[in-house]
Amino acid sequence: MTENNKALLSRVFGEVLEQMAFMFADAVDADEPPLPPSSPLLAHMTFRGAMAGRLSLAVTADMCPEIAANLLGTEPEEAADPKVSRDALKELLNVTCGHVLTALAGDQPVFDLTVPQVEELDEELWTAMAAAPETAAMLVDDHPVLLSIELDEKGA
Amino acid sequence: MALNILVVDDSDTVRAIILKTLKMSGIALNAPLEASNGAEALTVLKEQWVDLVLTDINMPEMGGVELIERMKEDDILKAIPVVVVSTEGSATRIEELKAKGVKAYVRKPFTPEQIREVVDQVLGVSHDGEQ
Repeated sequence: MTENNKALLSRVFGEVLEQMAFMFADAVDADEPPLPPSSPLLAHMTFRGAMAGRLSLAVTADMCPEIAANLLGTEPEEAADPKVSRDALKELLNVTCGHVLTALAGDQPVFDLTVPQVEELDEELWTAMAAAPETAAMLVDDHPVLLSIELDEKGA
Repeated sequence: MALNILVVDDSDTVRAIILKTLKMSGIALNAPLEASNGAEALTVLKEQWVDLVLTDINMPEMGGVELIERMKEDDILKAIPVVVVSTEGSATRIEELKAKGVKAYVRKPFTPEQIREVVDQVLGVSHDGEQ
């Protein structure tokens, strides 16, 4: 993972987030990774094709209803149902993954994508993800966000 | 004339997002028609007139590609236009889908204006929903 690829993750995620949810992401200095929030969630999915690997997105649980509300055009209270807010997070990751793969591999290769999964993330794993060199750290309306891609060295 | 558009996606939330965008586009719609996979979509299509199908590709039980193939095998359903709504940006995949009879491909995320343009183009209707 090069610094350019890390910048690519931040750029693509920022564009997708702005278009989908009208929210804005600001990159965080690599020397000051965001501290673990009280209840982080991890969305992840794998892809296989010209490249194979996994894309992971960590956010605060508080951010998910805001994402869902913006995607659905409702108030956050109306999107507080955990299933709805987790589905919104999955959709955000799914769309981000499609655009990241196009940015990395161009528009010719065909990829098979798995269905995104969401799970709770403990502080230790958040800290490890935030410190990893391949992780893009961002702030979205003061919510810390981590996005990382792991490429399978064996390829597809 | 209001349209019957069937939205096919395995996520309730994603279907709600697509329906919200359709409503924002100003397209005149009848009551929303939804299905969570290709098999459910075929049931809806056999029970009720549908002007257009908007479908995802990756779904459990029956995905979008099999839905399209099954519709093309049916003398009545093969006339209903299908638009794929997906996150993938592969030109190769889009060409494969068009070869199977897909009328258009809309990449997520999309704006109300973009979905309206595609629906108008596929159905050959004007912005007030009239032919």
